[in-house]
Amino acid sequence: MIEPFTVPFMGRALAELALLALICGPVSVFVFARRLSFVSDALTHTVFPGVVIGFLAGGIEGIVVGALVAGVVTAVVLTLLSRGGALSDDASTAVVLTAMFSIGVVLVSRRSSYTADLTSFLFGRILTVTPRQIAETAVLAVVILGLLLFSARALIFRTFDPAGAAAAGFRVAWLDLLLNIIVALVVVAAVRAVGTILVVALLIVPAAAARMLTTRLSLMAVIGTVLILVAAYGGLLASWTASVDYGISLTSASAVVLLLVLAYLLLLPLGALRSRHNRGRIVSDARRSPHELVG
Amino acid sequence: MNWWDDALHRATAEVLLAGALAGLVGVHVVLRRLSFFTMALTHATFPGVVAASIIGVNIVIGGVVAGAIVALGVAALSRHRSQNTAAATGVMLSGGFALGAGLVATQSGFSRDLTSFLVGSILTVSPQDLVTTAVALVVVAAVLLVCARPLRYTGFDRAGAQAAGFATGVWDVVLLLVIQVAVVTIVPAIGTILALALIVAPAAAARQWSHRLSIITALAVTLGALSGLGGLYASSRWDVAAGASITLTATAILALSTVLARLVRSRPTATARLRAFPA
Amino acid sequence: MDDVAVADAAVRFTEVSVGYHGTPVLTDVNLELVPGQRLALIGPNGAGKSTLIKSILGLVPVLAGTSTVLGRTPAQARARTGYVPQTDSLDADFPVTAGQVVMMGRYRRIGWWRPTRNADRRAVHEALDRLGLADHARTHFGVLSGGQRQRVLLARAIAAEPRLLLLDEPFNGVDAVSQEAIVSVLRELSAVGTTLVLSTHDLTVAHELADAVCVLNGRQWAVGPPDETLTADTLRRAYGGHAVELRDGRTVLVEP
Repeated sequence: MIEPFTVPFMGRALAELALLALICGPVSVFVFARRLSFVSDALTHTVFPGVVIGFLAGGIEGIVVGALVAGVVTAVVLTLLSRGGALSDDASTAVVLTAMFSIGVVLVSRRSSYTADLTSFLFGRILTVTPRQIAETAVLAVVILGLLLFSARALIFRTFDPAGAAAAGFRVAWLDLLLNIIVALVVVAAVRAVGTILVVALLIVPAAAARMLTTRLSLMAVIGTVLILVAAYGGLLASWTASVDYGISLTSASAVVLLLVLAYLLLLPLGALRSRHNRGRIVSDARRSPHELVG
Repeated sequence: MNWWDDALHRATAEVLLAGALAGLVGVHVVLRRLSFFTMALTHATFPGVVAASIIGVNIVIGGVVAGAIVALGVAALSRHRSQNTAAATGVMLSGGFALGAGLVATQSGFSRDLTSFLVGSILTVSPQDLVTTAVALVVVAAVLLVCARPLRYTGFDRAGAQAAGFATGVWDVVLLLVIQVAVVTIVPAIGTILALALIVAPAAAARQWSHRLSIITALAVTLGALSGLGGLYASSRWDVAAGASITLTATAILALSTVLARLVRSRPTATARLRAFPA
Repeated sequence: MDDVAVADAAVRFTEVSVGYHGTPVLTDVNLELVPGQRLALIGPNGAGKSTLIKSILGLVPVLAGTSTVLGRTPAQARARTGYVPQTDSLDADFPVTAGQVVMMGRYRRIGWWRPTRNADRRAVHEALDRLGLADHARTHFGVLSGGQRQRVLLARAIAAEPRLLLLDEPFNGVDAVSQEAIVSVLRELSAVGTTLVLSTHDLTVAHELADAVCVLNGRQWAVGPPDETLTADTLRRAYGGHAVELRDGRTVLVEP
């Protein structure tokens, strides 16, 4: 069970995912509580043009810088649009997402290795992670965790009581921007190694699954991290076993996501039991309709 | 030579039909704030399409089945007390996409298929695809017309609609299935991710110009078809992926519309009539 | 048209508990309303006023006790029950005109796909006219004021010609002109035999408009004529202690 990970590239893949687990557990809690799933999904797509431009301008080295710039630009644009009120939040997110992604596609579609580029953006290259990439992820992880620690209290306040937070002197707009930038940084840290599909899953699924077990935010973050670690280990092992022993090509990123989703589905009945247990609480029906898919 | 034998002619007809279809359902997507759900649908039809092509049935059927599972899955998950709909949608999106990607990876010729799924391949549209799109357009238009009243009531006032005896849950599913038929039809032409733009942008632009659903719909259909046409032209002119240029055209139309609407609205005479967000 | 006998109760709830997911929100409800009666539901936020209204509509299940509305089960009676929801539960940005909203009241009669007839258009016009909004038929609902929106929703309920009309906080955020228009239409409806149930925070309105009051907070604390139920004692119990002041012997003001 440990043996595959003694192979250097498997060990590095696991190390990279462990670092991501550390940051995605806590960040996903905010994504869940603030209903930022769509924004997260958007950020994973909008860094694409940044990746392409970064690569064209500075080769491999340029990718992180390009992604960083694109991520921060999107975070700012999404924050501004959601406050401008010209369009509803979800429509503006959709338009920014598709427009930025299209710019990336236009840029790559003029190159010959078009399809390969797009595929690696989606799936990442977790099995070819270099020590240098791990170092970059570690630096970003420290920055992200630092930002979170520094702002957690304000972010939580803003999440549950925006009016109260504003009244208490917090700048709600800046807090929203900060959270969007934190999510963008996670995407930048993760996207090259693990690809967009896995990043979206890491940002959304852990907290949603952990929520079945607890309502405490700190505990949700810890459970989220543990879930990612377990799914990372299991997913890498499954994809290794599938290809070495059975000759089936199972992409590691897909295996990890599917395990995470499986964990979510397995926890569903537990969540149902819990909520039946606490049935003294009255929950409003207001958010039940697909009307408010983004909210 | 038959007019339909030219790939560019077929592509032109396809973008017109797909743009109109996207505009038609887009109005409801925008009004009911279903963009993220639509995004999840476009991604989650992916495993259905792949599975259908592996076992050799029509990919539209595969897409519709997968989409129906997602629609019902999101509805079921978000009834769960501890889950919000956004999270449930996100889970379905990432799960569905990972499953599809995993399935594709087991096949050879993987990246090509995947790419054409992501960004579409408008120039390989067959006459049969055109017929499919045309039929989907007629069916969707007919359903939206016949069901206009319950959809309007449910969208405007859910509690009132229930009290008036409409089964709002059933009408939600009707709407979701309509959106899904449109998504499955449009995706092969312009791709998973970019289909969302053609659905949302023209409708969002149309929304800025009227408070009458009929006018908004007509405008959205027109703008959708225009986006398709303009994008196709840009694509052949500058040799870029058609899905991307269609998306950028639709975005440009929306941006232009937003600026114009602001300008018109800032004129005092028009303020009262066009004010979208009263205090 | 099988008419309910005039003597029959419009609403009869006996020892009723209502709630969601098997959890009661409101218990011990005993109501008996004759046609034309005007009942006000009084209680603090979260007292169960909206839940009770939805249970009369058959949208929230009755967990215990017996309930009949217009001589049938609440769900069966829904066809002849009108409902005016709280305005903030609506999507005011949705592209509908005031006239289209009022036409919604006719949907049940027309069927959900058949074309509208002259009678329907006339009913819509009359309903808008009664509430002083005849000029606003083609105005977007979203640009109307809070009071005008509330009047449109009442017009929609009237257009359906209900025998029982339920109103959830009809005076919230409503200007004086609109309030007056609403009150006078409600009186007219009651005079021709329509039974009214409305929830409100406003004890003055309850006193003035209702001929019966039901004080709620998790359970039914009192029901009866306003003078007997809107007493300092009852309200203090329902609202929890000190939140009540007495003024000129009769009117009771509640300060949150």
